[in-house]
Amino acid sequence: MHTIVCVKQVPDPEIPPAKFKIDPVAKKVIPPPGVPPVISVYDERAVEAACRLKDKHKGKITVISLGSEKATDVVRHAISMGADDGYVLQDEAFENLDSFGTAYVLGKAIQKIGGYDLILCGRQAADWGAGQVGSILGEILGLPVITLACDIQAEDKKLKVKRILKDGFEVIEAPMPALVTVSSEIGLPRLPAGMALMLARRKQIPIWKAKDIGADLSELDRSKVHTEITEIFIPTRETKCEMISGATPAEMAANLVSKLAKMI
Amino acid sequence: MMGGETMSPFKGVMVLGEMTEGRLAPITIELLGVGRRLADELGEELSVLLMGGKAGALAQEAIAYGADKVYVGEDSLFDEYNSDAYTQWIASFCQKTLPSILLIGHTDIGCDLAPRLNGRLRGGLSMDAVDLKIDPSTKLLVSTRPIFGGNAYAKVVSKSARPQMVTVRTKIFPPAERNDSRKGEVILVEEKVDPSVVKAKVVDRIKEEVEGVKLEDAEIIISGGHGIGSAKNFEMLWELARLLGGTVGATRRACDEGWIPVTRQIGQSGKVVSPKLYIAVALSGAMSHIVGCLGSKCIVAINKDPEANIFNVAHFGIVADYKEVLPALIQKFKEQRSG
Amino acid sequence: MALASREVFWNISYGYLVYLLALVSIGLWLYGFYQRYRVWRLGRPDERSKEIGKRIGIFFRDIMVDVFAHRRFLRQPFSGIMHLTIFWGFIILLLASAVDAISYYSGYHLQGSLYLWFSLISDLGGFLILAGILMAAFRRYLWKPKSLNSVLDDGILLASITAIIITGYMIEGLRQAATEIKPHPDWALWSPGGWVFANIFIDLSEGVLRSWHQFLWWFHSILTIGIILYSGLAFSKLQHIIVSPLNIFFRSLGPLAAPSPIDIEKAEILGVGEIKDFTWKQLLDLDACTNCGRCEEVCPAWATSKPLSPRKLVQDLKGHMVKLSSNSVHSPENSSSLIGEGPTEAEIWACTTCAACQETCPVYVEHILKIIDLRRHLVLAQNKMPESAQLMLRNMQMRGHPWAGAQSLRLRGDWTTNLDLKILAEGDQINTLLWVGCTGALVDRNVEVTLSLTRVLKAAGVDFAVLGEGETCCGDPARRAGYEFQFQLMAEQNIDIFKTHRIQEIITSCPHCYNIIKNEYPKYGGQFKVIHYTQLLWGLLKQGRLNLLNGIHSTLTYHDPCYLGRYNGIYSEPRQILKMIPKVTLKEMKRSRERSFCCGGGGGHMWIEEQPGTQKISQKRIEEVIQTGVDTVVTSCPYCLQMFEESIENKDSLKAKDLVEMVELSLKKSS
Repeated sequence: MHTIVCVKQVPDPEIPPAKFKIDPVAKKVIPPPGVPPVISVYDERAVEAACRLKDKHKGKITVISLGSEKATDVVRHAISMGADDGYVLQDEAFENLDSFGTAYVLGKAIQKIGGYDLILCGRQAADWGAGQVGSILGEILGLPVITLACDIQAEDKKLKVKRILKDGFEVIEAPMPALVTVSSEIGLPRLPAGMALMLARRKQIPIWKAKDIGADLSELDRSKVHTEITEIFIPTRETKCEMISGATPAEMAANLVSKLAKMI
Repeated sequence: MMGGETMSPFKGVMVLGEMTEGRLAPITIELLGVGRRLADELGEELSVLLMGGKAGALAQEAIAYGADKVYVGEDSLFDEYNSDAYTQWIASFCQKTLPSILLIGHTDIGCDLAPRLNGRLRGGLSMDAVDLKIDPSTKLLVSTRPIFGGNAYAKVVSKSARPQMVTVRTKIFPPAERNDSRKGEVILVEEKVDPSVVKAKVVDRIKEEVEGVKLEDAEIIISGGHGIGSAKNFEMLWELARLLGGTVGATRRACDEGWIPVTRQIGQSGKVVSPKLYIAVALSGAMSHIVGCLGSKCIVAINKDPEANIFNVAHFGIVADYKEVLPALIQKFKEQRSG
Repeated sequence: MALASREVFWNISYGYLVYLLALVSIGLWLYGFYQRYRVWRLGRPDERSKEIGKRIGIFFRDIMVDVFAHRRFLRQPFSGIMHLTIFWGFIILLLASAVDAISYYSGYHLQGSLYLWFSLISDLGGFLILAGILMAAFRRYLWKPKSLNSVLDDGILLASITAIIITGYMIEGLRQAATEIKPHPDWALWSPGGWVFANIFIDLSEGVLRSWHQFLWWFHSILTIGIILYSGLAFSKLQHIIVSPLNIFFRSLGPLAAPSPIDIEKAEILGVGEIKDFTWKQLLDLDACTNCGRCEEVCPAWATSKPLSPRKLVQDLKGHMVKLSSNSVHSPENSSSLIGEGPTEAEIWACTTCAACQETCPVYVEHILKIIDLRRHLVLAQNKMPESAQLMLRNMQMRGHPWAGAQSLRLRGDWTTNLDLKILAEGDQINTLLWVGCTGALVDRNVEVTLSLTRVLKAAGVDFAVLGEGETCCGDPARRAGYEFQFQLMAEQNIDIFKTHRIQEIITSCPHCYNIIKNEYPKYGGQFKVIHYTQLLWGLLKQGRLNLLNGIHSTLTYHDPCYLGRYNGIYSEPRQILKMIPKVTLKEMKRSRERSFCCGGGGGHMWIEEQPGTQKISQKRIEEVIQTGVDTVVTSCPYCLQMFEESIENKDSLKAKDLVEMVELSLKKSS
């Protein structure tokens, strides 16, 4: 069984909120210095889902990432979890693409790799969080798309996917090949360890350019973007927190109750 | 599909309606409200698409809530959401009706349908919008959506891609006002689903037993974070919630630990709630959680750590061990109730 | 006047047969030992087999201190004395039997006063044993301390040894009654044990005396030989006579509980998943353990109702090893998973690596590395660990430190803002580095300590630099949690940084950093002079570069951090520093220095959660602090400080402070 996982390298989302800075002119987020970027949370879950399938059914996992040259780090991280091969898609033409452009490039790379049964993506990227690349990619490749998976099983040539709903789950059966987007409810990803870690240290991760995957540059033309960001801002919160006083926690509780009395 | 600014065949605001238990879903009524405003600003029509066996019966109600046209896809095949069927049918529908703006709820259905639909229609989609405006000079739809886990927001437009699609967060916009004297058109859509497109099928649906009020509808929520420490300790929160007629939520970390089912998760990858009172117990207030509760009218934070981020967004704060505060709160509320 | 003497084998025909039987039984005993030896050798190789020459000299000193003088035993006075008497009693009787054998074969018999003293001392030997055995039986069956487990083997040994000694006196008495007591009453008193029985048997006829004597003599001999056989073939606890000194011979000579590196490229086995994955020395340990329970008594996890008992862990592992030996020793089916019912995962993760167990063990069993090996298997080979451990290790792997990004409100280099400090940039070289550690840079309370330390160092004119943002974790939490590869990556990275900046000396405030950089980094190519700040401050005070002028009206107690005290023997410098502060009263807790009770933060437990529903280890230690009545508990470790801050309920009556904070308070000129 061959699974291809798409992963993205993003600025570390777990920085203290006070350190979060933006450049409103460039419409970019400024990551604090010295904090290395990480693999997007949901993409890591997608790699975990692929590894669980590999544990059960053997087979192969290929990881691809569209990003800068540093993205080899996240591909390597995926390999250290259990993926077999990885590629980074890096080209000047690949910068600042919208969801359609990203899906197009990923699609081209996937078509080059070929021979897949399942494509996995995170439900949304931990940075811009548009949440569309997976579905658009599915459209481009003509695959059934199942979103928000918290469990993926494969039997014969069929997938059984448990999907998160607001008040429970649904189970969906689909033929392979298919594309599934994965959510964090799948559980904690495994720690890179054992043989996989050894493999990852030594692995060569090729960098593919536009010509390597046969990307038509006219598709990636800036003027052809479907959505544009006109502004980014950090909302200012006006609440001043009123700290409830009291000599003991019990007293504090009593004071709180009287403050809330009108509300409840 | 790409359309130019003027002479565009794309016109009107279309709402993809959802139904729950045979009635219009609250989000649909909210979308009709904001849709009406947008349509008026553009001087165009507001339409709504209703799908399902009972859809026709709700058409009048939709008109009362502001729709000029109600499209009805009265096929009982649509009673249960199927990703492939909906995507194919609605895409084909949109290719005929050519709406300029497509409003979808950020729901289980919307989150799945919207990106696929966008992939097929090749419009411009913005997900989880918390604000919608029409830019007066360009007449473009400007949507505001959270980025970076809610640490910041972005304003998004689609200059030429059509339709301009948005999934709108629930409980952000007020519901439309009902006016039963409104008049409108009801159009039956004859097309059937092409059965060959259905590849993925739903084989089972498991509803989680929801204790008490549903999170999204609760007026009072007591939420626990990583500082709660164990599944057993959550019982204290349940006790307080029951006493106040509310329910319990949790942060992603508490759910990851298995202390509480994941359907209770509030935050960026969980539920977004807007109760009257939100009591945040032993949670640090990471942005990815806070985005789920910022809509609350009053946030109370109880945390041992005076530097916890939650105090930056709370209205009231208590710096103490929750294990000592909660029992006292429960006691005090009990006394208050008994007069 | 005849010279006092005794005929060896009087009244016993074919007495020399006993030597033959002894030889046979010793032969069989050796066979039993060999079978066990083969089981130990099923374990993986151990470096210690290469060090035999070096160990011989050390062992002779150990023999004096630990074996003959029972240094560790006597920490528990009752059982220490009990064992001391049994031990010396045995030595005496062994020598006495040897003398008899020599007499028999050489024909030279002890005579006169030499004989009398010999007889007295032999009897004394028997008394010692008897006294010890009685104390032992009392302790085991009547007193019943909680950590003493009894099995059938114990009963068999106690009963048999008692029988051997008592029959020994009876035999002596019978002989004396028949030959000595009437003609030489004064001799008889030199064998007091026998004399007691002689007076009881005195009225029996010689025929009766002789036949009883023969019977009991053979009974006594066969019982003794029987016990040797039993011990050897059933591998009884009695084997500790040989196995425990053997274990002491092979005890660790290096730094305490320093795990061995795993070769990432070549390792086939990661940690220990089956009993055979242990090294032969670790398997030997399991047999050296006499189930005495001292380790259990001092274990902080056990003391707070966690399922971990070091004693039980070792005995459970021994059970697995014994199962190995009952199958055909070389059969391939000898593999079964170790972890499950005993030791359980909960036990394995409950350990804080405080080393109280190892410090107290009289036979030098090494518990900690076994636990770390088991953790390695769980983490590296099975990806199984408590969620809190997994979260911490993910942070180590992704962010280079164990503190979750969103938990701390700081970034690594934040603590240096607005300070006049030398921060190493690329290309800089400096002799002395102040290594701050993750906790000291990222957790608010501990950043206060770091800042205090920098101020004190500056006041003393110490020239140092810091890495600021460029500092990453020393790797200790990962290594102690079994995530060896991550530790290795970090160690190599840090060593590289130290070497690039040509650093010679590293000052640190965290004992965990101190321990790992000083004792464990050398195996990865990094040899540096590492100083804990308490050593540095003491040196500065002695040199007069710091003067503690301000008096502090406070009663203090000093809590010895495990990784500073037991792991590295630094006990006196912190106390001497505190004593130099005027007006301070220093009280010692009962459990201090080598017996210090862990704060609960080691072994990854700053992040790995303790079993819910049990008392927190730090709470227990605070109880002990409160009992001294002091107003301040002083420590010199960031984990200890954090744990205490979390567990002290009434911060008005008890404060937790780091030692450097006390020093700084005393440095300031009173305003």
